[in-house]
Amino acid sequence: MMADPAAAEGDEALAARAAAGEEPAFEELLSRYQARVYRLACRLTADEGDAKDVLQETFLAAYRGLPAFRGDARFSTWLYRIATNAALMHRRARARRPTESLEAFLPRFDAGGVHAAEPADLRAASRADEVLDRKLLAEKARAGLDRLPDIYRDAFVLRDLEELTTAEVADLLGIDAAAVRQRVHRARLMLRGYLSDLVGVKP
Amino acid sequence: MNVGLACVDGVGMLMDYLEGTVPPAEREALDRHVSGCPRCVAFVESYRATPRILRAATAAALPDDLAPSLRRFLASRR
Repeated sequence: MMADPAAAEGDEALAARAAAGEEPAFEELLSRYQARVYRLACRLTADEGDAKDVLQETFLAAYRGLPAFRGDARFSTWLYRIATNAALMHRRARARRPTESLEAFLPRFDAGGVHAAEPADLRAASRADEVLDRKLLAEKARAGLDRLPDIYRDAFVLRDLEELTTAEVADLLGIDAAAVRQRVHRARLMLRGYLSDLVGVKP
Repeated sequence: MNVGLACVDGVGMLMDYLEGTVPPAEREALDRHVSGCPRCVAFVESYRATPRILRAATAAALPDDLAPSLRRFLASRR
């Protein structure tokens, strides 16, 4: 069987061919990115219906916008921007129910600035994926993300879950790199304590 | 300098430390503190594990019916 030549082609070359109206090139980009866009949308919206809409809107906007796509940017960055904006729009349209904050899960220190918990308890969050049933952890992880204030959630999802660089996240969210690091840090602290709580240990 | 670095200071610097944006002197102070502090060693381990655990736990797979429905949607709007 012949290998599909499009499969070895770079995203930007495919995007240029897709912009020129070559359907197989667009189809290849779709195949490459549909799962990633859906996953990103689920992480940002926590709603499967919204994620489906975001997926459709993203690729429709990409299809229509391709002729204006400039080859000096990475296609993936460009597509992530479309998808992130679509996801944030959907989230804004949804009246968020008030949620119990994760502030209570921040680490605790004594008066001298020493960790209040013992080492074994401080380590507990690391074992959340060994201790908890996979399906339960998936549900709780989603609920945990949903309890993060939006500004922390967005930075954490893009930086730590989608593994974009800090500079890319800063560019996408329109904030500077120091602000990205501060928000991601805060999200990690809260979620770390949340995981710890899930395995039955006070963070 | 930095003799009195406490756990709480280290936690505050952790993200910047891991991203490599902490100045060398502070970096050394943090290294010194953590190497002698089992609580911080344990904390750093769980801090670093948190993104990995959440990444795996929130990696939603594309439902089987969504790829074809996405193509139908796009075809209807081109």
